[in-house]
Amino acid sequence: MKTKFKNLNQLPIGTRIVTIISLIWASIVSLTPIVWLFISSLKKDPLARPGFQLPESIYLEGYISTFRDLNVMQYFGNSMFISIVSVVISIVMISMSAYVVARMEFWGKKLVNLMLATTLFIPATALTYPVYNLINRLGIYNTRTALILIYACSGIAVSFFVIKNYYEHVPKELEDAARIDGCGYMQTFWHIIFPVARPGIMTAAVLAFLNNWNEYYWASLVIIDREKLTVPALLSTFTTSFRTNYNGLFSAMVIIILPPILLYCIFNKFFIEALSGGAVKG
Amino acid sequence: MTTVKQKNHTTVSKQEWRRRGFIIAFLAPTLLAFCIFYLYPLLTVFFTSFCKWDYTNITNPQFWGFADMFNNYKYIFTTYPYFWEALLNSTFWALLGIFFQIPLATIIALAFSRKIKGIKLIRNIYIIPCMISSAALGMIFLQLYSPLYGIINPIIQIFNPEFSGNILLQKGTAFWAMTGAYIFFTGTTTLMILGNIMAVPEEIREAAMLDGASGLKQDFLITIPMIKNTLKTVSILAATSGFLLYNEVFFLTRGAAGTYSISYVIRELAINSPRSQFGRANTVAFIQIIAGMLIILFVNVVYEIPSLCKKLRRN
Repeated sequence: MKTKFKNLNQLPIGTRIVTIISLIWASIVSLTPIVWLFISSLKKDPLARPGFQLPESIYLEGYISTFRDLNVMQYFGNSMFISIVSVVISIVMISMSAYVVARMEFWGKKLVNLMLATTLFIPATALTYPVYNLINRLGIYNTRTALILIYACSGIAVSFFVIKNYYEHVPKELEDAARIDGCGYMQTFWHIIFPVARPGIMTAAVLAFLNNWNEYYWASLVIIDREKLTVPALLSTFTTSFRTNYNGLFSAMVIIILPPILLYCIFNKFFIEALSGGAVKG
Repeated sequence: MTTVKQKNHTTVSKQEWRRRGFIIAFLAPTLLAFCIFYLYPLLTVFFTSFCKWDYTNITNPQFWGFADMFNNYKYIFTTYPYFWEALLNSTFWALLGIFFQIPLATIIALAFSRKIKGIKLIRNIYIIPCMISSAALGMIFLQLYSPLYGIINPIIQIFNPEFSGNILLQKGTAFWAMTGAYIFFTGTTTLMILGNIMAVPEEIREAAMLDGASGLKQDFLITIPMIKNTLKTVSILAATSGFLLYNEVFFLTRGAAGTYSISYVIRELAINSPRSQFGRANTVAFIQIIAGMLIILFVNVVYEIPSLCKKLRRN
């Protein structure tokens, strides 16, 4: 086993032990729940063979009935649609304002900076009732629009600071050169700054996407109709809809977590590069 | 002479106007979003926390009057049974974010930064739990903890064969079981830290190597101080998300056995209970905002300690 490691032998012994323990820990922690869920979903009666016992024979009835009765792609599509639209809106909006704040002088700049910084201090759940009320008054309760609005507006602070930090690293000469070449403000932004700052904007976009994709609090608050639910909100209906059909419950859960895992397997290079600010190659 | 000057002046101001227009156009959407989602709700929370506002007067909150201004606060602090439990739990989860999750994420990120064959695979696997949402993880852990078919009870029974209860329903174990359902999944944080570790220039590592600092010693003396700012940022994110914990409470215990969180209290008061208490929910919300600010302040203080120590030593 040891010969497989390339560089580990050069590390001091203590570091080597810590590294190996961390890696084993990381694999166990992330695989145990998923592997267990998968094994359980193949058991005809999970009660008869609890824990990590392997199933007697592979039983696929749960999967078949889930595919027949539960329209997974619909919920998956809802989540996808809502997350992507809200991320595009918020990232475009924030990369514009972050640019202005990072690169231009104007009256009230400090105030704008402060206002956006405070959003980091304001827990979204504290605003539960006012936002809920607002959504009702706008007449968009129980629509996907409501969730898109909430997701696009929340989480301003994190995206703002990630993107602004990146703009501050873009050399000023780049802009000056563009202006001398006769680019207007808009052109300078879209053709020069936006492409250069792409890694930073990507980090913010992927972070926001993951947040919206996994978001449960608001999703379960403003949407009621079953066919409009996002995947996390759908999950909370499982305990009642499956009751004692554990095989069905486990199969449905596997099917629910499968699309994001597949998506991640296809795009993991992109996710890893984006989240690490382009420093780690996937 | 004067005409030239004037002409110059007008072109400058034209450009100035264009600049102002650009600034306003680029700021407006974000500021609008800020006003809709933050400013207006924030003001509502603040003012209605001093109002009588519940299921009996849904449309018109009424100010308690200056004499009884703090009625809601008094109720929350002295009468409402779950407030202190929730505040204590949420604060504890915030502290665990700073002092447990971030060190854990850093150690794993350091392990991921070594050049070892097969490390990419483990790194990719470690992100998966972050992709399947905390709601799904909550559901999975609910099953893992089940005394009927889960894996926790057989493990406990190795040490204590008589144990047969549900760890989510017993005081003490419930809190830790819930914590265990989310605290180890630090994938995105680890990646952000890893990105910063990898961005530390190779020359600096090599110089440290020549000075005899390698492995963990090098990491603690050179790498970690260099990524301090990122660690601070992710600490703030971890602390606030711990402080706002809701999903795990909802999926695993619904507040049973001493596991209330502040977010859960707010939602229960404002929306889930049939006798909704909007004013009181907003009181808790306002306390949550203040406490959230204190936590961020605390993180900033914690990260100032090393440089303070240095200064003291120099003096």
